[in-house]
Amino acid sequence: MRPFLRTFSLLSARKARSALNGVRSMSGWEWVRNLAFGAMGLWMMEGLRWGFFRLLSYLDALPLLGPLLIWKLVAMAMLTTFSMVIVSSLVISLTSFFYAEDLRWLVRAPVPLRALFADKAVETVFFSSWMIVLVILPMILALAQVKHLGPGFLAAFFALLLPALALSCAGGMAFTLVLMAAFPSSRTRDAVWILSSLAAASVYVFVRAAEPERLVRPDAMQLVSEYLRYLQAPTAPRAPSWWLTEGLAAWVGGAREVFWLRAAWLYGAAGAAAAVLLALAGRLYARGYSGAQEGGRARRPIDIPPTPEARLRRLLGRWAPSAAATALFWKERTCFVRDVKHWSQLVLIAALIMVYLFSIDRLPLDTAELKSLVCFLNIGVAGFVLSSLGLRFTFPAVSLEGRSYWVARAAPLSVSQLMGQKLAFCLPPTLAVGTALVAASNHLLGADRFVSVLTLGTIWLAAFTLSAMGVGFGALFPRFKVENIHQVESSAGGFVYMACALGFIGLTLAAEAWPVKMHFDARLGRANAWDWRAAGLSALMLLVVNAAAAGLPWVLGRRALEAYEGD
Amino acid sequence: MIEVSGLTKRFGTYTAVSDLSLRVEPGRIYGFLGPNGAGKTTTVKMLTGLLRPSAGTARICGFDVASDTLEAKRRLGLVPDEPFVYPKLTGAEFLRLTGDLYEVPYEVQRRRVPELLEMFELTGFGGELLETYSHGMRQKVVLASVILHEPKALILDEPLVGLDPKSARMAKEIFRTMAARGAAIFMCTHVLEIAERICDRIGIILGGRLVAEGTLAELRSRSGPAAQGRSLEEIFLELTGGQEYAALLKNL
Repeated sequence: MRPFLRTFSLLSARKARSALNGVRSMSGWEWVRNLAFGAMGLWMMEGLRWGFFRLLSYLDALPLLGPLLIWKLVAMAMLTTFSMVIVSSLVISLTSFFYAEDLRWLVRAPVPLRALFADKAVETVFFSSWMIVLVILPMILALAQVKHLGPGFLAAFFALLLPALALSCAGGMAFTLVLMAAFPSSRTRDAVWILSSLAAASVYVFVRAAEPERLVRPDAMQLVSEYLRYLQAPTAPRAPSWWLTEGLAAWVGGAREVFWLRAAWLYGAAGAAAAVLLALAGRLYARGYSGAQEGGRARRPIDIPPTPEARLRRLLGRWAPSAAATALFWKERTCFVRDVKHWSQLVLIAALIMVYLFSIDRLPLDTAELKSLVCFLNIGVAGFVLSSLGLRFTFPAVSLEGRSYWVARAAPLSVSQLMGQKLAFCLPPTLAVGTALVAASNHLLGADRFVSVLTLGTIWLAAFTLSAMGVGFGALFPRFKVENIHQVESSAGGFVYMACALGFIGLTLAAEAWPVKMHFDARLGRANAWDWRAAGLSALMLLVVNAAAAGLPWVLGRRALEAYEGD
Repeated sequence: MIEVSGLTKRFGTYTAVSDLSLRVEPGRIYGFLGPNGAGKTTTVKMLTGLLRPSAGTARICGFDVASDTLEAKRRLGLVPDEPFVYPKLTGAEFLRLTGDLYEVPYEVQRRRVPELLEMFELTGFGGELLETYSHGMRQKVVLASVILHEPKALILDEPLVGLDPKSARMAKEIFRTMAARGAAIFMCTHVLEIAERICDRIGIILGGRLVAEGTLAELRSRSGPAAQGRSLEEIFLELTGGQEYAALLKNL
């Protein structure tokens, strides 16, 4: 036990020292930049806190049902949070345990494998959860404000949060550990990885298809008592998220013995999970690590026929892009398709689209006007989905060149061409997803012609702008030396991209709100509803917003990448 | 031709390369030597457009790397110190990608790619993903990719690291042949024996400054009459202060 603890503390100290050195070596400009991003982050968190405060204050004021609804909401938010942590931990643990750069050195050193595993487990828990915790924190702060709770409540929340996060990640880590050890052949492992994603996506679709929201709507229940029983019933009672919610509710209600009991459950379960994981690591980690060193052994022909891109280039003649740009596009496509990690994401996206459209179809809307209005507001939700996909695929596109970036940089290829090729690769799928979400929603809800044309045109424009914005910010904040894509997504640049993307979607809706109002006025029979000057002004606003949102990050990113001198 | 004039690179207050001037004529091999951290890789990055100089110019075949970047890069080949290549491409595909990036005609690629793979004894691995390659195999693929587009100027940063003796010898022959065909070659290396054998001129950089330059005979004569007959290693250690290692060994 002593060598384990000694090595684990040594490994932890190295991380703390590296972080400290990173802070100490920051230049004046980096301090200014990071403080600006920090301030922006705090501002966004404050916005979320304000929103939650309004919601929770409203619920708290409801007689009888209010407190029940608040805790139901907290329980559902916690369940969602921990589900997201589990999914993140699956992908992050794969990189931290088996592909991290420092492993090559650490595995050779006389470091007990269990200590190394524990070190990487702490890393996985941190990277899987820090951003999600930042999103849930404003809700907890708002809850504390609504219920007039002091810092003791926050301390209680963090005390319960730590083991709950560790428990959530333990599942993902154990799955990855067993998978890597059980399937040392990379092709079998890849197949299992995709099948697991398919299984997760199917469960997600089936759960949604069961229409759980029927339970949330009081009108779907036969009796009021039935509804009250639903609100009082545990949300996923065996999940750590429910223990956390119960613990918090107990703290607020003054039932300290229940709080300590739930804390004991959480810490006990986390301790047990850690013990099981360490025991598993002792048996499986070495085997899994060894298997991970083998690459895919798929043999392909040496004599390669002209690529479809090259053939298309010949067809286009003088209108064709440069040979270098087409070659990079082919490289991008080939590398993307061969990386199984992307496949599992695509499976989940397909499930997300299905659930999205199913939810739209089940919306309880009565009038044709309301349906058309929802179709317009749907731009906001579809825009959010495109922004999230952009954070996962478009924003990291430049950074995904990785350490091979020198190949493109040393080649006779400008930064604009490189970025243009990234945009050309990311735009079609973004456009396709946007079109699928908006066109299918319009069809399902029976939107009128004006709203259908407006929303479809808007989402096409937004797909282009969001893609250009993603590539632009990706070039502005490149990270070529990261070990996994999540480090790119969860970087300061990813945060800035997401904040700007959401701001852009909000401004788009604001710019179109006026013409949409005039359209509904006309539909409801109001004479002279249309003011064409106002419509023109809205169109101009929309164009300016899109030009700024796409152009500014693009230009700044191009300049930054041209001047790039290393991470 | 490679021409460097007053090339300087500063990172904040730290000057990595200071006022570097040199010239590599077509058909010549220039050996660029220096201890670790002397500024060799920074120089290579400025020559290839990966870093912008703080002052001075670097020209490739008459084109300024900073202002005529694309024209300069069209004529340039780079073998970096670490052969990072796209792991999800095969060796043959990487060569094809490089061929397309440098606009090598498809018919030439179709003929040359198998030839180059065979030359580097990679035919059996050419269809496998680069993530399965060893360091030396990746280095061979990068070398092959440079030969494929036949650059007029070649920048090599430790090109022989990781190569087996046979491949290293072949690489040396390749460099000589490319120089004989008119390429200007700038090579950073720590292997002084190679520099001694194949380089026409040698430059030694220390603390970012070029402290000595010339043919091996010129370097010997500059070190005084006692230097006649001494190896490049001895001259290098004398110039860079490396002979003080005996005092340091007491810590062993």
